[in-house]
Amino acid sequence: MEQLLQYTITGLAVGMIYALIALGFALIWKSSRVANLALGQLVLISSWFTYGILVQAHFPVWAGMIMTILFAIFLGWAIERFTLRPLIGQPTLSLIAVTLGLGYFLEGIVIVVWPISVAKLPVLFPQDPINIGSAVISQEYVWAAGISLALFILLSLFFKFHKMGIAMRAAADDQLAIQACAVPINRIFSLSWIFACIVAATGGVLISSIGGITSALIETGFKSFSVVILGGMDSFIGCMVAGPLIGLCENIGAGYLTSIIGPGIKDLIPFVIIILVMLFKPYGLFGEERIERI
Amino acid sequence: MLKLNNLEVSYLNVVKVLYGISLSVADGMVVALLGANGAGKTTTLKAISGLLRIEEGEITDGNIEWNGQRIDKRSAAEIGKLGIVQALEGRRVFGHLTAQENLIVGSYSRSRARDVSADFKMVYNYFPRLESLKNNIAGYLSGGEQQMLVIGRAMMAAPSLMMLDEPSLGLAPMVVEQIYDIIKKFNTDRKASILLVEQNVRVALNTAHYGYVMENGRVVLDGSADYLKGREDIKEFYMGISASGTKKSYKEIKHYKRRKRWL
Repeated sequence: MEQLLQYTITGLAVGMIYALIALGFALIWKSSRVANLALGQLVLISSWFTYGILVQAHFPVWAGMIMTILFAIFLGWAIERFTLRPLIGQPTLSLIAVTLGLGYFLEGIVIVVWPISVAKLPVLFPQDPINIGSAVISQEYVWAAGISLALFILLSLFFKFHKMGIAMRAAADDQLAIQACAVPINRIFSLSWIFACIVAATGGVLISSIGGITSALIETGFKSFSVVILGGMDSFIGCMVAGPLIGLCENIGAGYLTSIIGPGIKDLIPFVIIILVMLFKPYGLFGEERIERI
Repeated sequence: MLKLNNLEVSYLNVVKVLYGISLSVADGMVVALLGANGAGKTTTLKAISGLLRIEEGEITDGNIEWNGQRIDKRSAAEIGKLGIVQALEGRRVFGHLTAQENLIVGSYSRSRARDVSADFKMVYNYFPRLESLKNNIAGYLSGGEQQMLVIGRAMMAAPSLMMLDEPSLGLAPMVVEQIYDIIKKFNTDRKASILLVEQNVRVALNTAHYGYVMENGRVVLDGSADYLKGREDIKEFYMGISASGTKKSYKEIKHYKRRKRWL
C-alpha cells in the first residue's frame, strides 16, 4: 500500500512534466497544424544549455533560469524565422519534415558542444523530503508539478481570453481569413514557437534536475508525443490529463511488473494505452473534432 | 477614396488574370463589381487587401492608391490597419471559435478597448441574431448566420472601406435581402465605403450606387447603378431578361443569344 502511494505520487509528478513538454507540441499544432517533431531535441538542448550556464560558466541559479528562458525565446524565434517562415504556404508535410531535420540538427549541435554523454544539474530546489501519509517524496517532484501546473494555467488563460491567443486559435482554422482580419500571421507562428520552446525548456530543466541530463531526454520527448496523442493534439487540458495518466500507469506498472516481465515494461506501457485509447477515441480524449455540417 | 490605376496581376508569374483594371471607390459609396466566374473580381479584391501575395499572385503593373497613398506594396496587416478590410467569399468563419471570439479576432487591428466594446454593440445591433448566438461554436451556425458573422467580423475592424466577396452566395432570397439591408444601413450610418463582388446582379445593383462589369480581366462597362440596370446587355446576360422584357424560359432550348455589344 505504501509502495502504491509512492508510485502514484511520483507518477503524477513526472506525468506533469510530460504534460508540460507535450504543451510544446500542442501549442504549435493549435496555431499552425504543424507537428513539432523536434520536441525531444528542444528539451535536450535547453537542458544542456542550462548545464553550460550553471555548471560550466558558474552563474547563480536565478541568473541561469532567466538565461535559459531567454535562450528558449531566442531559439523559438530563430527556428520560426529561419526554418519555417520560408515555407509558409507549402504543404504541411514539408513543414513537418523540416521539424524532423531540425531535431537532428539540434541534436548534432549538442553533440558538438557538449561531447560528454551524461551530466548532472546543480541543486535547484530545496532537498528536504516531504512526507505524504506514509510515502516520502523529494521536494523536486512537488516543485516540478507546481511549475508545470502554473504554466499550464497561464497559457490556458492566454489562449482563452487574450486577443492574440484567440487569434492564434483562429489561425488553425483558416490562415487566409486570419490575414483578412489584419492579423500579422508571422507573429502568430513566431509566438507559438517561442511558447513551445519555453515550455520545452522548462520541462527539460525540471526533468533533468530530477534525473540528470542524458540523451534519454529525447525519449522523454517521444513520451510527450504519446501524451498529446492521448489527450488530443490541440487540447491543453488533454495534455494536463493525459500527462499524469501516462506518468501514473508508467510508474505503477513498472513498479509492479518489472520483477515479473522485465525492465523494458516501463517504456512499453504508455504506448499500449495509446493504442487502446485511439481505438475508441480517434481524436484523443479531449481533441477538437473536425466540424463538418452536413 | 480608393483608386486602382491600370492594375495588372498575374499568378506564379505565368497566369495573367487582370489586364489593366482601373476603378475607383469614392468615400461613402457602395460600388458593385459584377461579372461571370473567372472575370477577376476576387483577384481585384485580394490585390487591394494585400492577400494576393499569400496566394502567389503579384501586381505586375499599375498601382493602388488609398487617399492618395500607394498601398500596393504593403502587407495585408498594414492595409488592414488603414481601415480596408475584406470579408472573404464562402462564409469563412473560424469554425472552432465561438461567434463572439470570431468578432474579437475581427477587432484585432483596433488598439483601444473602449472602441471595441462599442463595436460589439454596433454589430449586435445590426445582427441581433448574433447576440443570442454569441457563445455558440461558429462552425455549427447556419449558412445565413455564418455569413452574418463574417460581415460582422469585418465590421468589427471599423473599416472605412469594407469589401464583401459574394455575400449572397448560397443563401435563401429572404436572408440575402436581410443581409443587403444591413449592408446598406452600415453604409449610411457609418459613412463607410463598400466594394461588393456579386453574382446576384439584381440585388447588387439595387444596393450599389455605381457598378463595374468585368470580363476576362478587364472592365468592360461601368456606370451608375440605374444606368446599368437599364442596359439591355446587363438584362440579357446577367439578369436573364430578354430584350422583349419577359423572363427567358429554359424550355426553349434552342435560342440565339444577343451579341455582347461591349466586345
